[in-house]
Amino acid sequence: MTPGPIRPAFRAGIVMASLVLVAAAATGLLPDPAAAAADQGMNAATAGAPHVARGDYPTIAGMSSRTTVWALAQMHLFLAAFVLAVPLFSLATEFMGKVTDDGRYDSMAHEFMKITMAAYSFTALAGGALALALFLFYPPLMGYLLRVFRGQVLIYALLFGLESVTLYIYYYSWKALRYGNRKWVHMSIGLLLNAVGLTLMFVANGWATFMMSPAGVDTTGAITGTVWEATRNPLWNPLNLHRFLANIAYGGAIVGAYAAYMFLAEKDPARRAHYDWMGYTSNFIAILGFLPLPFAGYWLMAEIYSYSQQMGITAMGGVLAWLFIIQAVLIGTIMLAANYYLWSGLMRTDRGRKYVPYVKYVGVVIIGGFLVWVTPHTLILTPSEVQVLGGTNHKLLGPLGIMPAKNTAVNLMLVFTFLSFQMFYRSSRIPTSRFAPAGNAIIYALYIVGCLNIVGAGIYGYITPTVYKVGASVPQVVSTLVIIVGSVIIDIFRLRGAETTTIHWGRMSPRSQYALFVLPVAFTWLMGLMGYIRSSLRTYWHVYTVMRDNSAEAYIPTIGQAGNVITLITLGFMAVMVFVFWLSRLGETRQAAPEPRPPARTATETAR
Amino acid sequence: MTERTWIVFLLALLVWAFVFYGLDRAIMEGQGLPVGADLMPR
Repeated sequence: MTPGPIRPAFRAGIVMASLVLVAAAATGLLPDPAAAAADQGMNAATAGAPHVARGDYPTIAGMSSRTTVWALAQMHLFLAAFVLAVPLFSLATEFMGKVTDDGRYDSMAHEFMKITMAAYSFTALAGGALALALFLFYPPLMGYLLRVFRGQVLIYALLFGLESVTLYIYYYSWKALRYGNRKWVHMSIGLLLNAVGLTLMFVANGWATFMMSPAGVDTTGAITGTVWEATRNPLWNPLNLHRFLANIAYGGAIVGAYAAYMFLAEKDPARRAHYDWMGYTSNFIAILGFLPLPFAGYWLMAEIYSYSQQMGITAMGGVLAWLFIIQAVLIGTIMLAANYYLWSGLMRTDRGRKYVPYVKYVGVVIIGGFLVWVTPHTLILTPSEVQVLGGTNHKLLGPLGIMPAKNTAVNLMLVFTFLSFQMFYRSSRIPTSRFAPAGNAIIYALYIVGCLNIVGAGIYGYITPTVYKVGASVPQVVSTLVIIVGSVIIDIFRLRGAETTTIHWGRMSPRSQYALFVLPVAFTWLMGLMGYIRSSLRTYWHVYTVMRDNSAEAYIPTIGQAGNVITLITLGFMAVMVFVFWLSRLGETRQAAPEPRPPARTATETAR
Repeated sequence: MTERTWIVFLLALLVWAFVFYGLDRAIMEGQGLPVGADLMPR
């Protein structure tokens, strides 16, 4: 065995052991308010959340505690999202390979995992550093959280260990368990790995959401419920769903960038074809995860409003509302890049040219939706501009700044992004069934009526009271899903027995590959931005309304400051990813064997 | 498109309109928001 496989496992083990030690040390050594309360004759459970003064927060070498924890938490989250998501679709791809008996899927799934392996030890290192930073800078908060979640913290550590074990077994047994029934054993290990990984994420989500919507404690923070009640707080499931989908989209985007990197670096046409196919599949996975994401985000936001109207207004009605405009710019960028890549893909098939004239119409909808989404309701204006405009709202553009317009725009963008996929799918198939023309007409009708319904429900939101405005967004989502699912089902029947034409994988412009680089950068930035919003919603509370943050940095940073920090973290993460890609390529690089030396001449030969 | 396809298209438009209307109504009522009462003056 080469030393390579051992090192990441060993490193992860060290980090995990450190985590356990830190947790144990923190519970035993740090000034524990529960212990202090017990000394005073109070039960630890009935003691409320600690009241901390500014002096209780250690300062270390003038470092900004919040920025340090922020950067480490975000970096850990980026990496964790990636390493949790990739095994999910790697397993799905492996399953596809088994079912279709196509070895290419299996090789691609293995390659997906190869990138994850390189990133795994970085994830553990970032997680360990985050835990240390939290215990160093925020000991009272960590003491309280440990008191609420008790043994769950150790279960988390055990799960992490189990994840490491299953991950390494899953990856390194790939070739040993490749065929026949052994393949099912291998996929079962993958299933276990994903089950553990998801549980790990759900546990961590419980801690993050407890800080936003505490449960299982009373208004003073005294523990009144079980660990399970604290975990299953009002925002837990919305965040679970949102992160699950976002991780898939994110993981897909990152492996897409890896495929683009390899595509551009490769000279061999067969290898380029492989990486082109991998890039297409990764983009497909990213968009598949991305399509339902706005709806999951909508649910999360609705639950935030439902839990605390004040928190909801802080998010979408105050200073943070401007970040949703930046969010719209980034999502618009993702949509445009993903669609551009799909349109470029039409050159892979000989019939793709037939669909090119339709691209401009799809482009109009995507760009139009993007412009609607970035239109703010209230503008930041000078007094003279307000005078000229007659108010802070533009009479034509102002109405585009409210949710019915945004919902309409995003739903239409999703429908037309799916249409781009459908065009590529159709471009390699010539229908032969008698049902084909009728099926096509039914799909046209579905798109027309569905889109009219989305627009109609949007207009309906303008002429009804607010509660109907919010309610009308659900039929819009359902319409989008009916269009997508309905046209896929009809197309299956329409293209039954269709003649398939060759897809020239690798026949892609280098420019199209840069669209695949845009996706992870925009996703990373977006996640950093939205993470900052989610965390800022707590304002000056460590645990919302229960434990006050009295540190010097208990304020919402300005948008400019937040933008700088998020951008630096994004750059840091992308640097790590480029290193990971480079490592993966390095692993495949083989040094040419040296030329055999000519035999040394004997003394007699030399004398001659 | 042939004449037959046009007929299918027009029929499909009607059927989909019916489907979406039914869905919209069911979803709004499912949320406790009866359609029709929404436009009444308050």
